[in-house]
Amino acid sequence: MKKVKKYLVNTCRCTFLISSCIFLTPAVSDEPEIDLAYIGSTSDTAWLGMKQGLDEANLQGQFLGQKYALSAFDPGQIKDADFSHYVAIITAVDHDLFLRISESQPGVPVFNLSLDDDDLRSACLPNALHIIPSKRMKSDAEAQWLQKTPDSHATARAWHPDFEKFAGRDLNKRFLKNQMVKMDDPAWAGWASVKIISDSIAREKITDAGELLQYLKTQLSFDGQKGDNLNFRVTGQLRQPLILVEDDKIVAEAPVRGVANPPTLDSLGMVECAK
Amino acid sequence: MKTFVSVIIIYTLTLGIACAEPTGRIFVTNEKSNTISVIDSKTHQIETTLEIGKRPRGIGFSPDHSELYVAVSDENVIAVVDPKSLQVLRQFPAGSDPEAFAVHPNGDIYISNEDDAKATVINPKTGEQVSEIKVGLEPEGVAISPDGTRVIVTSESTNMLHVISIPEHNILSNILVGVRPRSVTFSKNGELAYTTAEITGEVFKVDVLKGQIIKKGLFEDKNAKPKDVMLSRDEKTLYIAGGRANKVLVMNTDSMELITGIPVGNRVWGLALSRDGNRLYTTDGLSGTVSVIDTKENKVIDTIKVGELPWGVVIDD
Repeated sequence: MKKVKKYLVNTCRCTFLISSCIFLTPAVSDEPEIDLAYIGSTSDTAWLGMKQGLDEANLQGQFLGQKYALSAFDPGQIKDADFSHYVAIITAVDHDLFLRISESQPGVPVFNLSLDDDDLRSACLPNALHIIPSKRMKSDAEAQWLQKTPDSHATARAWHPDFEKFAGRDLNKRFLKNQMVKMDDPAWAGWASVKIISDSIAREKITDAGELLQYLKTQLSFDGQKGDNLNFRVTGQLRQPLILVEDDKIVAEAPVRGVANPPTLDSLGMVECAK
Repeated sequence: MKTFVSVIIIYTLTLGIACAEPTGRIFVTNEKSNTISVIDSKTHQIETTLEIGKRPRGIGFSPDHSELYVAVSDENVIAVVDPKSLQVLRQFPAGSDPEAFAVHPNGDIYISNEDDAKATVINPKTGEQVSEIKVGLEPEGVAISPDGTRVIVTSESTNMLHVISIPEHNILSNILVGVRPRSVTFSKNGELAYTTAEITGEVFKVDVLKGQIIKKGLFEDKNAKPKDVMLSRDEKTLYIAGGRANKVLVMNTDSMELITGIPVGNRVWGLALSRDGNRLYTTDGLSGTVSVIDTKENKVIDTIKVGELPWGVVIDD
């Protein structure tokens, strides 16, 4: 709290002296940067989603005296990399590499943006946080929709660039404007991962990876712009509504109302760890 | 400078006392029908329906009620309607995607621009943009303290209330509240504010001067996605539009505990209270209705069919 007050005082001074609040760097230079690592390709949309999330985190950070930075690592070049000063590692890598990263960084939140494998959920890795929905979540959503419309061939997704409800429209609009591509599932997951981290740090002033992991697993309330309060299961999977798409058109959201009983987010996918 | 400003404020307040004779009409923006429903508050009959432009949402009066302002979101303008003649008098640009706004006692409009992470201040007489205030992402709710010295803007995707001084437009404090704060209202003395957090289903009571949360009220109903919030005239009771709970939630402002839930139409978003505090009007988004509540009995006494996706409601009484 002290830090915030100091920042506000400085901001005002800055306002009077140079009649602009854009040049905040000198006033907040004592604020340490919060560093996030990304392991994955920077030519895919997951990275663009993270960049969007970073911009939004820093917009919020302006008001709270917090600054975030992202560092990208090529999956092939991380053998000797030191991740010790990152509060979280966000990954879009293959199955085996994900397991290796999760194992080699105990206590550090490791986000999964790209793998839908069910075994990664049922294994309940203590530091794995799966933002992208699992295969099982998607097939459950599709099965719910089939019960209602037996001739449908809809597929379930985390996101769709035409999604408008629950401020989905706002997110799609600003992502397209800033990143110049449409928001797809990996982009949404990348955006969500950074926002989940920054929302939590904003509230709790956490600077330690272990504390952050604990908070994320037990106390998170996240607005994924899908109209629900999102948090993590014990499996490390992010509970979330899915979007059912047929011929690239949104036909429904899951849990499907009138089919899933009760229509809770836990009607999608496995909820518990494998014994 | 300060003296000069207070002179202006006193001057406009004096002007404001010369109020227009109230029409007794209720005005409702229908987001999907692109219209305004005009309702007689005595008979609860629809008097007429005005075509207003694409996606009308925020609605409010000038301080003397001689003009009605409507944010026409998809046309990026505010339309000005004469509440007596029901003529559209003029319109002016209101920044990108104007949604909710509040009117200052001096007549200026403070409006949130959801797409641009800012609030814009507009003089509705000239249509001129007086000022621009940078706030968090997806700004929505706007409230101005009754003495005109503070404005609060909620930013939905940054989960904050920004308390801003008027006329300097300096941010005095940023208060992190629950997830997706949507609507905010001041107490009469300007020291307290109440805000709804849609995603976490919470209401926060905030000390405006200290920039701190005093107390939080929670809803047990998991469907409660609260939107509009309004104080009773004696400030002992909060009325909250419960969204998906399809209820108006009635809360004690001291204990911040729920007193009752009044069933209304589906997806209730907007609220308006009569001057005497005896009638509460709601917009029920998915039902396309306005519910009329007797606040003594906490009961719906009438339901009025309006357009599609009714959003905001105000009463000229």
